Amino acid sequence: MSAAALAPAAPDRDAPPSAATRRAYGLLPALALLIAWEASSRFALVDPKILPSLAAVLQRAVTELSEGRLLGDIGASLARDLVGFALGSALGVPLGLALGLSRTLDRVIGPTFNAVKQIAIFAWIPLLSVWFGVGEEAKIAFIALAAFTPAVVNAWNGARAVPPKLAEVAEVLTLNRWRRLVTLTLPAALPSIFIGLHLGLIQSWLATVGAEYFMTVGPGIGGLMTEGREHFHMDLVFLGVLLLGLIGLALNLAATRLEARALRWRSR
Amino acid sequence: MTNLDLGRAAFHSAVARDPSAAVGPRRWPPRLAAVAERLRGGVTAAAAVPLAFPTLLLGLWILSARLGWLPAQILPDPALVAATVAEFVETGDLWFHTGVSLLRVIEGFALGAALGLGLGVAMGLSDRARWIIEPSFTAIAQVPPLGWIPLLMLLVGIDEALKVLIIAKAALIPVALNTHKGIRNVPAAWREVGAALTFGPWLTLTRIVLPASVPTVFTGIRNGLTNAWLALVAVELLASSEGLGYLMVWGRQLFQLDLVILAMIVVGLVGFALDWSLGRVERRLQRWELAGS
Amino acid sequence: MTQGTLDLQGVGKRYSVSGASFTALQGIDLSIPAGEFLSIVGASGCGKSTLLRLIVGLERQHDGAILLDGRALDGPGLDRAIVFQEHRLFPWLTAAENVALGLLTSKRSAADKRRLVRDHLDLVGLSAFADAYPSQLSGGMAQRVAIARALVNRPRILLLDEPFGALDALTRTHLQGELQRIVRAEGITAILVTHDVEEALFLGDRVVVMHPRPGRIASIIPAARLPLGADGAHDRADPTFVRLREEVLAQLAPADAAPRAASLAA
Repeated sequence: MSAAALAPAAPDRDAPPSAATRRAYGLLPALALLIAWEASSRFALVDPKILPSLAAVLQRAVTELSEGRLLGDIGASLARDLVGFALGSALGVPLGLALGLSRTLDRVIGPTFNAVKQIAIFAWIPLLSVWFGVGEEAKIAFIALAAFTPAVVNAWNGARAVPPKLAEVAEVLTLNRWRRLVTLTLPAALPSIFIGLHLGLIQSWLATVGAEYFMTVGPGIGGLMTEGREHFHMDLVFLGVLLLGLIGLALNLAATRLEARALRWRSR
Repeated sequence: MTNLDLGRAAFHSAVARDPSAAVGPRRWPPRLAAVAERLRGGVTAAAAVPLAFPTLLLGLWILSARLGWLPAQILPDPALVAATVAEFVETGDLWFHTGVSLLRVIEGFALGAALGLGLGVAMGLSDRARWIIEPSFTAIAQVPPLGWIPLLMLLVGIDEALKVLIIAKAALIPVALNTHKGIRNVPAAWREVGAALTFGPWLTLTRIVLPASVPTVFTGIRNGLTNAWLALVAVELLASSEGLGYLMVWGRQLFQLDLVILAMIVVGLVGFALDWSLGRVERRLQRWELAGS
Repeated sequence: MTQGTLDLQGVGKRYSVSGASFTALQGIDLSIPAGEFLSIVGASGCGKSTLLRLIVGLERQHDGAILLDGRALDGPGLDRAIVFQEHRLFPWLTAAENVALGLLTSKRSAADKRRLVRDHLDLVGLSAFADAYPSQLSGGMAQRVAIARALVNRPRILLLDEPFGALDALTRTHLQGELQRIVRAEGITAILVTHDVEEALFLGDRVVVMHPRPGRIASIIPAARLPLGADGAHDRADPTFVRLREEVLAQLAPADAAPRAASLAA
C-alpha cells in the first residue's frame, strides 16, 4: 500500500520516487549538454572560436572578476534596471489606482492608454533615443516605460475589482470615501498591484538587456556581450548569457518572496 | 441533536461548498455592467468621451508644431506624418514592410508554439518528462529572449534564422508553461468520471484533459503571440534590411521622425489586430463558459 | 438469471499516510440481492464513500472479496455506474453530450446511442434542456443529468455518493422522490451513501448504519421495520419512521464528547 493510493488521480501501483530521484532526472539534460560541450571542444569537433570550452568560460569569468570589470558591468546593469523599475512603478501604480477609482478618468484616459499600450515596447527605442540621446537618461526612460505599463494595468484592475460583497459591507458601515480607500480598496487591490510589480520587474530586466544592446554606450552586461561578439570572444558571450539568466532568476525569486511576505494574510 | 439540526448542518455545508446552490440574483460581470451603463447614458456621449483626450493631445501636437515649440527633429508636424502615411500606402511600401514583419512573426510563432505545446503536453502528462525537462526549461526561460541574440548571432549568423529562432523562443515559453499548468490543473474529479466510464488513456486525453485545459492553453498561446511580436520588433531593430523595425532604424538615422512614428503606429495596430483575432477564436472555443452569464 | 447481485466478503481497506497505516474499512460483509435499494448512512470518516469507490473500481487494492453476480471485480466497468455529490458534468459539453459521454466506450450502434441518450434525458425530465450547457442548469437539473449519464449504459448497479448533498432542502426532497421512481422503473440494484438519516430511511429497502475508526457496519435495519405508505414508498410522517430515525441518530452520535463536531464536520 502506497501513499499514492490517497491521491485518486494516480494509479495505485505507481509509487512516487524520492525527491533525490526527481532531481537526478532534472540534471540529465544539463549533464548531456555538458558532455556534448566538453566532448566537442576537447576533440575539436567544432571551431573553438565558436564553441569555447567550459574551462575557457570559467577562466574568463575569473579574469574578468579579478580585473574588477565584471562586477562593474553587473552593478551598472542592475542599478539601471532598479532605477528604471522604481521610476516606472512609482508613476504607474498611482495612475492605475486613479484610473480604477475614478469613472471619469477611466473614460477619458483609459481608451487612449489601452491604444498606446499596443505598441510593442521596443518600438519606443528609436523615438526615445532621439528624444533623450543614447546615454543613461534614454536607457532609464525606456526601462521605466517597460515597468510602467504592467504597473498601471494591474493597479487599475485591482482597484476596479473590489468584491461587490465587501463593497456592500463598506456601504452598510457608512464609510466615507477616504476610509473606504484605506480600509477596503487598497488592501483589495494589493494582490493585483503586486502582480503588476512582479511583471514590471521581469519586463524591466528584459528592457535593460534591450537598452544596452540598442543604446550602446556605457558599461553593462549587454555591452559586455556586444563586445564579446564583435571581437569574436565566444567565452565572453557565454558568460553574458549565464549572467543574464542568473540575475533574472534572482530578481524573480526576490519578487516572489516579497510578494508572499506582503500578502501573508491571503495564505491558504 | 435533532434531525432538523442535522439537516440544517448538511444544508449549510452544502451551500458553503457550492456557492451556486445559494439563491441570489446573478451579478453582471463589471465590464458588461459598464457597457450597459454606457448604453443607457446615450451612444454619442459614450463615443465622444474616450475621443476627447486623444483629440486634445493631437491639438497640442499640431499647435506645438505650428508655433515651433519643439524642433521638428524632436516632434514632427502631424501633417508631415499624415503625408508620409499616405505616401507609404500609395507606393505599397507600407504593405511590403508590414508583410515582411508579419511573415517573420508567423514563422517564429508557429515554430515556438508547436514546440511549446509539445513540451507542455509532455510535462503535463508524464511525471518523468516533467522531471527531465522542467529544470532546464526554467533555466532557459530566465534568460530574456534578447539575451540569446549575441550567442545565436555567432552560431547561426544574422540572417532570417536568427530572427525566427528568437521569435520562436519568445513564443515557446508562455505556451509551454500554460499548457503544462492547464493539463496539471485538470481536476482529479473529472478524470475519475472518465475512469468510472472505463475511458482508456486516449479517451481520457481527448475527451477530458485536452478540452479542460483549453482555456489555460489558449492564454499561453495569446501571451506567446504578444511575446513573439515584441521579439520581432527587437530583432528587426537590431539587424534587418526590411520590415517595420528596419523602417524605424532607417527613419531614426535619417532623422525622419515621421517615419518612426508611422512605424510605431503600424506596430501598435498589428499587435492589436493579432491579439484581437486570437481573442475572437478564444471566445468561440469557450462558448460554454459564456453560455451561463 | 437475476443480474446485479453484489456480495461483499470481509472487505477492508488500509491507507498509509506518510508512513503511518490507517484503516478506513474493516470486515465489511454484505449481500445485496438484485433490485434492492440499499442505503448506507454514517458520519463522515466512516468509510462509506471508500466502500463505493471500491465497488465502482476507482480504488482497487483491498482485503476480502467483492463479487458481482459471483464474479470478482477488477477495475471500473460499464456494469456499474456512479453519481457523485458534485454533478461532475463537463462544462464544455451540452446536457445531451454529457449523457452521451457514458456511451463512448459502449459497442452499441450510433442510432442506438442516440436513442438511449434521448430516452434517458426523458427519464429525468430534461428533454427540453438537451442542448443546454451545465452553466445554464440549476444544481438540481445538473444532478439529474448526472443521473441520466450514469443510467445510460443500463448498468446492473447504480452507486450514489451523497448525490443530493450539495442541493438545497426543497430540491433534495423533490429529487429523492424522482430517484425512487427512476430506480424502480429501471429495476436495477442501487446503493446510496449519505449522512442524511431521513434520506437513507426514506429511500432504502434496507439501511446499513456505519461507525468510524475503523469504518465498520454497526447495524442493519431490515426492510420489515420500515413502514410503507399507501403509495408503496416509505412514509416519513409515520410514527414508526420517526422513531426509527431517532434511533439511528442516537446510534450515530459518537460515544465521546463533542457530538456536534462530528455531524457538523460533514
